[in-house]
Amino acid sequence: MNTYLTPLRRAAGIAGCSIVALSLTAPLAQTAHATGVLAGTLIENTATATYETGAGTGSVTSNKVTVKVDELLDVAVSTLSTAPATATSAPAVLVYSVTNSGNGPEAFNLAADPKVSGNAFDGTIKSLALDSNNNGVYDPGVDTLLTAGALATPVLAPDKSVKVFVLVTLPAGAADAQTSQVRLTATAQTGTGTPGTSFTGKGEGGGDAVVGLTTASANSLAGLVASLANLTLTKSATILDPFGTAKPVPGAVVTYSLAAKVSGSGSLDGLHVIDTIPDGTTYVPGSLKLDAAALTDAADGDAGVGGASGIDVTLGKIAGGTTKTVVFAVKIN
Amino acid sequence: MNVSILVKSLAGSIAMMAMASPALAAAQATPAASAQAPAAVSLKIDVMIEKTVTENGVSKVQLVDPKVVVPGDKLVYTLRYHNAGGLPAVNYVMTNPLPSAVLLAPDGAPGTDVSVDGGKTWGKLDALKVTATDGSPRAAAAADVTHIRWTIAQIAPGASGEVQYHGIVR
Repeated sequence: MNTYLTPLRRAAGIAGCSIVALSLTAPLAQTAHATGVLAGTLIENTATATYETGAGTGSVTSNKVTVKVDELLDVAVSTLSTAPATATSAPAVLVYSVTNSGNGPEAFNLAADPKVSGNAFDGTIKSLALDSNNNGVYDPGVDTLLTAGALATPVLAPDKSVKVFVLVTLPAGAADAQTSQVRLTATAQTGTGTPGTSFTGKGEGGGDAVVGLTTASANSLAGLVASLANLTLTKSATILDPFGTAKPVPGAVVTYSLAAKVSGSGSLDGLHVIDTIPDGTTYVPGSLKLDAAALTDAADGDAGVGGASGIDVTLGKIAGGTTKTVVFAVKIN
Repeated sequence: MNVSILVKSLAGSIAMMAMASPALAAAQATPAASAQAPAAVSLKIDVMIEKTVTENGVSKVQLVDPKVVVPGDKLVYTLRYHNAGGLPAVNYVMTNPLPSAVLLAPDGAPGTDVSVDGGKTWGKLDALKVTATDGSPRAAAAADVTHIRWTIAQIAPGASGEVQYHGIVR
């Protein structure tokens, strides 16, 4: 129990001294902090008073009260992808930001869940990575891949955030233009729970750690869209016989047209159009064309090769919505 | 020696009674204390944490002695004064710089003067202005308060009282 004796003595000792009050009215440094006062901070408070009596003026300084700030566990997760990330044969890269919104240093466990209600397909989580060079772009070989069993952020100082990449591949059943979402959840390693849950001795500086309003767990969704391409090959033939009609008689020339149509929002790479020369016919030298442009028969600088063994035209990478047409002719023996 | 101890504890118990009374308690004669320390008005501060407890669907506010707090906790600071001297104290001005880690709660110190510039100028909060980030003046808010001040016109010998304000851990 405190009596007034101690303050009384103190007051007597500094009677008439107004410097105490003046020094305490000096501006205090305002340490505004988005996530609150740092864990371990001591909040100290002292008041002063001045007064007059018939015997003169007096001043008094109060006792000091101190409370210690405990560690608050809070986290925020947001997606940095403004549009759905594109998944082709290469994985989609979803970008999230994980922020320590608590007031003490904390690491957060990460979990990516591809099963989200409303998904047209559920992607396959290939890997999680941290944006080591903090450029917001996934750089293979540069950004740290997280290993299974250690999916976590490094220890983040209060208010600090880290960008997390989630690499998602398409499942077999996904069709072009279908969309899907992946949920990234970050949870404080010290613990989670309803706000106010306390972890004794787990706080910064040996104090308690207390779960904040975020429950020390947060998540965010990021979307991806499948970008695939399909190939349809259509073969047609026209016949011109020596008599100017279209009868398949010996000596007639059959012109084959092979239309390679790539559809979808994606593209196909490494495309070749290959055909053989039908039995009973002979390749017409110099008849090979790609999109009406003549190709030489020899294996040389152009895209095509033609001869008795067949034709082979290299198309390479073709974007969706493009049709490439290969034409060659044979003569009926 | 024994007598002295008895007097001290008597003074203490009377002081505690005064503390338990509401703000600006009526004068109480404490001849023992006034005989010991003439012409002195004490000032004591204490802090409690306001916890809202819900029991059987009914919410009530409890004041608990805080060992530790977390950002967002509501604090109640109480300043208690006591005129232990034999003369009336006039123009008793209590000044409390807000700890930098504590925000004055909205309407947390009603009716008294505050400062938003480190104690240089004073006034009622709704009359004060601060400079916004764009350089223009704006009305001060509770969050801008740096100091709080209370003036008690006169404290009779032996009288006690208290003032309170509410803060929030930033």
